[in-house]
Amino acid sequence: MDWLEDELRRALAREDAPDGLAERVMARRALAPSGAPRWLAAAAMVVVAVGAGGAWRQHQGNQAKQEVMLALRLASAPVQHIQSEIRGITQ
Amino acid sequence: MKSLLILTCLAALPAMAAPQQFQLNLDSVAAKASEHVDVSLNASTLQFAAKFLDANDPDEAKVKKLLVGIEGIYVRHFNFKTAGAWSQADLEPVRAQLRGPEWSKIVGTGSEDGEKAEVWLRTSGNKSIGVAIIATEPKEITVVNIAGNIDLENLAELGGHFGVPKVKPDKPHKEE
Repeated sequence: MDWLEDELRRALAREDAPDGLAERVMARRALAPSGAPRWLAAAAMVVVAVGAGGAWRQHQGNQAKQEVMLALRLASAPVQHIQSEIRGITQ
Repeated sequence: MKSLLILTCLAALPAMAAPQQFQLNLDSVAAKASEHVDVSLNASTLQFAAKFLDANDPDEAKVKKLLVGIEGIYVRHFNFKTAGAWSQADLEPVRAQLRGPEWSKIVGTGSEDGEKAEVWLRTSGNKSIGVAIIATEPKEITVVNIAGNIDLENLAELGGHFGVPKVKPDKPHKEE
């Protein structure tokens, strides 16, 4: 088993990092785009999409409401006219 | 998955089916009109619109209440530049449909200045399931179909709201 222990000891032996490795890693990190702005952009897009969806729904709702008002206004006028005619006759 | 899709389509059919109770085939009138307004609102649009009506506003609350039970509102309104631009024969395609057994004319009025209005009721059993209104003036025609159960008293009550002037009762017509 000595040969195995020797192999393991050699494989797991502590080695110093090559010279300048820390500087090279830090330099790469500085060049790479940060992750935070991506998340921020995605979150902003979601907020804008939800806001736009809500505004669109509100717009559609108001439009539907105006159409209902118009339809009932046109429908109510003759009915009211008939009602007043009948009242006029019976009075 | 395919059967689920078919089931979904079948379930959506009643919502998609137009509950309009007669054809508003008024092309000849539209051709002569100077302006026209077409409004077609099915049940889903009415329900959607009802969500945007303010229950705390007395006028809007009345409309919201009125919409309960209505399955569709279909309106064709025409304005003409001159009197006599249209004739009663132009309305015959609509009147012919209303002569069917399911429709009955409940009231009709006419005045000396050429204003006429008639209301037809569609019934199923003892239940009212629709209303047709034909209102004509020398320079205006309005044809309305309201599908569903509507309270005509409440509909008339809307007069004076939303810019509709209240009509004062006319003097009684003299019998000749």
